[in-house]
Amino acid sequence: MRTVDLTKAYGKAHAVVYALRGVSFEVQRGERIALLGKSGSGKSTLLNLLGGVDRPTEGGLEVAGRELDRLSSRGLARFRSAAVGLIFQSFNLVPSRTALQNVELPMIFAGLSKTQRRIEARRALEAVGLAERLDHRPAQLSGGENQRVAIARALVNRPEVLLADEPTGNLDSATAREVMGLITDHVQKSGATLILVTHDEELARGCTDRLIRLKDGELVS
Amino acid sequence: MRLGDLLGLPLAALWQQKTRTVLTTLGVVFGSFVLAASLSIGQGVQDTFERETHRSDVLREIRIQPQFGESKANAKPVEVKGQMSDARRERIREALTARRRNMAASPVPLTRERLGELSRLPHVEAVVPQSWQGGYAILGKHSQTTGISASRVDDSQAREHLVAGRYFESPNEQAVVLSEYLLYRLGVVDDAALNGVLGKKLTLEFRAQEGQPGLGMALLKPDGEDASRDEIAALDKMKQELPAALEHLHLSPSQIELLRKALSGPPRKVEPILSREFTIVGVARARRPDEERNWDPLYADGDLVLPYGTATELFTASPAHIQGVNLATVLVDRDANVESVLADIHKMGLSAFAFLENVKHERLMYLLIFACMTCIAAVALLVAAMGIANTMLMSVLERMREIGIMKAVGASNGQLQLVFVVEGALIGLVGGGIGLLLAVASAYPGDAWVRGMVNRDIKIELKEPIFVFPAWLCLSVLVFAVVTTTLAAVYPARRAALVDPVTALRHE
Repeated sequence: MRTVDLTKAYGKAHAVVYALRGVSFEVQRGERIALLGKSGSGKSTLLNLLGGVDRPTEGGLEVAGRELDRLSSRGLARFRSAAVGLIFQSFNLVPSRTALQNVELPMIFAGLSKTQRRIEARRALEAVGLAERLDHRPAQLSGGENQRVAIARALVNRPEVLLADEPTGNLDSATAREVMGLITDHVQKSGATLILVTHDEELARGCTDRLIRLKDGELVS
Repeated sequence: MRLGDLLGLPLAALWQQKTRTVLTTLGVVFGSFVLAASLSIGQGVQDTFERETHRSDVLREIRIQPQFGESKANAKPVEVKGQMSDARRERIREALTARRRNMAASPVPLTRERLGELSRLPHVEAVVPQSWQGGYAILGKHSQTTGISASRVDDSQAREHLVAGRYFESPNEQAVVLSEYLLYRLGVVDDAALNGVLGKKLTLEFRAQEGQPGLGMALLKPDGEDASRDEIAALDKMKQELPAALEHLHLSPSQIELLRKALSGPPRKVEPILSREFTIVGVARARRPDEERNWDPLYADGDLVLPYGTATELFTASPAHIQGVNLATVLVDRDANVESVLADIHKMGLSAFAFLENVKHERLMYLLIFACMTCIAAVALLVAAMGIANTMLMSVLERMREIGIMKAVGASNGQLQLVFVVEGALIGLVGGGIGLLLAVASAYPGDAWVRGMVNRDIKIELKEPIFVFPAWLCLSVLVFAVVTTTLAAVYPARRAALVDPVTALRHE
């Protein structure tokens, strides 16, 4: 993973606001990185760019061997489907779908058969300890369980890069430890790269190999 | 993305919003129902019309009458006397010219040569003459006045009405088919006698035409029967002797003088009687009222019917005895050739009229009516489609976060667009299908109602349905509903596809 002078600006002409300005760094395959910074420092913006959910205004961006700044909209979608797993603070599960169906969602767009999807989704949910909650909807699950479903969904396509945006932000400390345990376990076993956005330095130091600090959209260390 | 998922995702979304889906679909159901019913009755009426008009050969027939044209003697311009404005002078001149044309018009007659010319025109199957002239039918000692009709040889309706014997075998056969009523008047009363009359000779007799002014006399018999040949002869003799007998009547000298002057004229030329003999080959009954709906001017339902070749020869045999052919009907080989034959007839200077022309106008009328009905139905469906577009736009806004999630986990713009378009198509398919089924179901009571109305008002008993649902109609309604709702979904789908995932994921 490599960024070169990565810039993200919002607005036009006189009212331009820079969320990121000239950010350059490199991450090796299998490395675990924590993005630290205060609210509004550009952590989530950087994560969205790394996940192919957003496009940079300027600069180069290479993730899992793909130059994201040059990919078409379709290419980015394919990248999101095949190469990255995204975990959000607010889980971002579809309320009308069961846990199993939520985990199936990425595989639907990847074109997998229903049988194959069911097997993979069940296995992913069993891996996060939700074998008994397959047919529950998000409203019927606790916060920790919802985040586990989100983790299962992020991991089910076996991504090379796992991007987690404050994954424990909405959880109590015991559940947070469990969730982080699941994430780091997977990363260790699969050799995937982890980018963890957090403002909890203690958590960051405990779970990652390196810290990258952002302040006002710029890399400070 | 697999086909099953392409259907599954939209179906799940529709199921999530049941009430909204039902209300949206109802609009499509109504539009499709009206469209299907309108197309159905349009097609049904067209089929019924074609069926009814093709029950007889009327669409292949052209009626011809002598053309009345202006005489050459009237070529000089009409003079208008007096002081008046130019406009009024022109109006008076036109009125005078029209009056002179009517009074001095001379017909282009339907002579034997012209009838022959007509029969030689391309695509003409037969030329059937018609004459108002009557004659005497003489069978043994009995005689009765009768009209004479000409018939085609292959008249299937007339054949069905035979009660004895056969129909004609060739156009020029010296044969005659009589009505059972004429035979009754000629003294053939018993059933057994009907078959006995077959093969016997019947004489047709025409008296010379006087064509002179004088005293007209007729015999009105109390039983309503026509005067016999002997009674007419007696009347004629009385007419001849009347001037001499005036003095024996209780009249004043001036009245006698007036009548003698009126009755005297140049001596009457007495033509010999024209008499022809024909073999009776068949006896026919009259048409029942329920058979009259298959109206065909070529159908020969007179008391005495001759094959058309024989009738032509008879009607043009002697101008002194028979006034000639008043009308003729040309039978064309196929509907498609009627127009070209009609043009050829007009070139001959004859006045002609094809029933097909009338039918064309009728067709145009109902096509216009049903086109309007179909347009209204299509508008109803378009309004429903606008409702769908609106509903789906709302749905895109409501499902903003879900769209963002789908994009974040790998859905491409194209896949999302397809999901929403299929959602619209499914509403069209289900709504169109239900609308079509409703139309089919309501066709049964509708059919009964229309049939009852037609039977009551115009006394026609329709046997075939008025509402028809051929495969093309069902398919068209479904395709139109699906295409309309799919198009309605394109814009909302495009909006969904272009949703910015970052914004969408923040959406509450």
